[in-house]
Amino acid sequence: MSGADIWLFLQQGILSGLVTGSVYALLAVAVVIIFKTTDVPNFAQGELFMVGAYVALFLVLVMGWAYWLVIPVTIAVVMVAAALFQRVVMERVIASRGVGVQLVIATLGLAYVLKGLVRTTGLGDTPRSLPPLASTSAIMIGDAVLTRLDLLIFAVAIIVMALLFAMFAWTRTGRAMRAVGMNARGAQRVGVNLSRVRMMVWGLSGLISAIAAVLITPKILITPDIAHVAILAFAAAIVGGMSSVPGAVLGGFIIGIAENLVGLFISTNAIVVAPFLAIMIVLIVRPQGILGGRLQVKKV
Amino acid sequence: MTLRLRLTVLAASLCTLAHAAPALAQQEPGISEKTIRIGMFAPLSGSSMAYGFDPMNGAKMWYAKINKEGGIHGRQIELVIEDDRCNANDLVAAAKKLTEQDKVFLLNGGSCSAATVAAREYVEREKIPLVMLNASGDGALYPVSKYIYGAFSISQYAVGGSMVQFGAEALKAKKIGYINHDDAYGAWNLAAAKVQAKHLGDLPLNVQSVNSNINDVTAPMLRIRASNPDVLLLTTYARPAALIIKKAHELGFDKPIVLAVTGTADLRQLVENVGNKEAFKNVYIQDVLADVPGSPKLQWVYDMYKEAYPDLAARPGYPQPYMPYGLPSAMTVVNALKAAGPQPTREKVLEAMSTMKFDSGVMAGPIEFTPTDHAAQKAAIYLKFDGDKSTLVPGTFKSVWKYEP
Repeated sequence: MSGADIWLFLQQGILSGLVTGSVYALLAVAVVIIFKTTDVPNFAQGELFMVGAYVALFLVLVMGWAYWLVIPVTIAVVMVAAALFQRVVMERVIASRGVGVQLVIATLGLAYVLKGLVRTTGLGDTPRSLPPLASTSAIMIGDAVLTRLDLLIFAVAIIVMALLFAMFAWTRTGRAMRAVGMNARGAQRVGVNLSRVRMMVWGLSGLISAIAAVLITPKILITPDIAHVAILAFAAAIVGGMSSVPGAVLGGFIIGIAENLVGLFISTNAIVVAPFLAIMIVLIVRPQGILGGRLQVKKV
Repeated sequence: MTLRLRLTVLAASLCTLAHAAPALAQQEPGISEKTIRIGMFAPLSGSSMAYGFDPMNGAKMWYAKINKEGGIHGRQIELVIEDDRCNANDLVAAAKKLTEQDKVFLLNGGSCSAATVAAREYVEREKIPLVMLNASGDGALYPVSKYIYGAFSISQYAVGGSMVQFGAEALKAKKIGYINHDDAYGAWNLAAAKVQAKHLGDLPLNVQSVNSNINDVTAPMLRIRASNPDVLLLTTYARPAALIIKKAHELGFDKPIVLAVTGTADLRQLVENVGNKEAFKNVYIQDVLADVPGSPKLQWVYDMYKEAYPDLAARPGYPQPYMPYGLPSAMTVVNALKAAGPQPTREKVLEAMSTMKFDSGVMAGPIEFTPTDHAAQKAAIYLKFDGDKSTLVPGTFKSVWKYEP
């Protein structure tokens, strides 16, 4: 490998990694906000993302709607579906004294139901693409090639994440979510409606999933199995810190870039191993994740 | 013993034998006086449906034709159908259900190699013939299994060898880029590709193996571009194939790209997924049919489909490209049942298949089995595909790979 190749691989690997990493980061944020407020890893996160893609596909393909209508309707559908799941299923599991395991199983149940529903529609019979939100014509950044769509994906993901940070920092709802995440019982005592906040968090997670789906699926194609992207989001969340929203973002970028650099400098066979390698390294060196704060030990 | 007594004993023995023969046949599962029950399975739903739904329709219409013509030795073919969703667990469950609950005589199914290979152990234990539908299923064919026949739509080993042969012979490539899957299926076609490259005078082969769930194909495509090959051979499924063709175009890779038959389930959708017809300026696709789909040579297959499934044929995208692949599989079953005679047993059918050779009129090469090789098809044709039309490149291209125990 020549010096020029190494330089090109670095530029292209990092830039392309930032683009896919931005979507992993979005989904990792969705995972983290649910985990922080409910202590439940949502194993249906990928399926919410997949459903978002198929709702948009249905609206474009079958209904023939324009994107300006497709995007808000897709976001609304996935948001409401996620919020309703929390309200109808998860709250009942909690009410019947369900603990972590039962709640996790409920999310797995949701994953299977969503996948099954998509399969019955017939839309998942073949890999499909949504029309991209921007041109896929190539532009050069240094020696690397990106498309206008890549830049749009990156920019929108950054804007959405910035808005989320602003919401958590400066809005009443965001503060209530953070309060529940820090100490649910304490938040309840000062008047926060736990059930309502959890529902809103799930709704927010659905919103993020739908945005991620509309952004990235024109690039990675839609199949009922694209929920596997959520595995990378979980990897990102673990690397960044399961309790840290900025950590999830950082983790997303790390995973996106690691996939490419490992593929370019080690072997393309190793791309699938890269996220798990990153998790193992982080768990050994800093078990709470890069931005996971101080390590907390629970005494039994 | 008097002559009269001897004759009576002889007559009684003959009567017993005459009744015993049908009784033996009846003991054979799935065979009745009027029917032969065959168990079929394929992905009929989900994201791999394109690999099995229409090939099964192809096989079904052949069985329907045979029934219309009077059946096999007076028996009508009765089909019991299961959806295996291209998934090993579902496929083995389907094979078990068909064998144990539906008591079929033989199995004719499987469109996805890895899933079909998973049935090998069960099929051998139950000693039930399995004629694969359109799966290559090399893992079940090599080493040879007495009960399993397949690869009607080309053995995976043959895919890799044939692709390299085409690249070198038709496209005059001196250096070859090769992207395959990092699974057994990818390993099979790569093994033959390496043999073929060596056979052609040690042609350099730059191999990049990717997971079929890959999201970002930047790394493999960049590594391929950096190695500056004369041609890129793709033996991936439809989704990675579309991503790679799209990325190749984005990166300005303008060398010929040859796509294996495994990635061509729906060419119209492939073009839509790539999103730019310009990306198909230098693309070739492998096919295993006798000619370009829809050509006069194959028109009878498409006419037959229209007659059998008028509603489906009227839908856009139907018949799907893999539809004709189901026919040679059903033809093999029918030929073997005919050869097994009026009192067929599974052993007789297996024996008939082990030396079968016929021209299906559908596939690029003859359907040929020997006692030491149960993979039917080794040859492929290639089409220049511009994103809309396909033009035949003259010749068939065969793999030199041979199984060595």
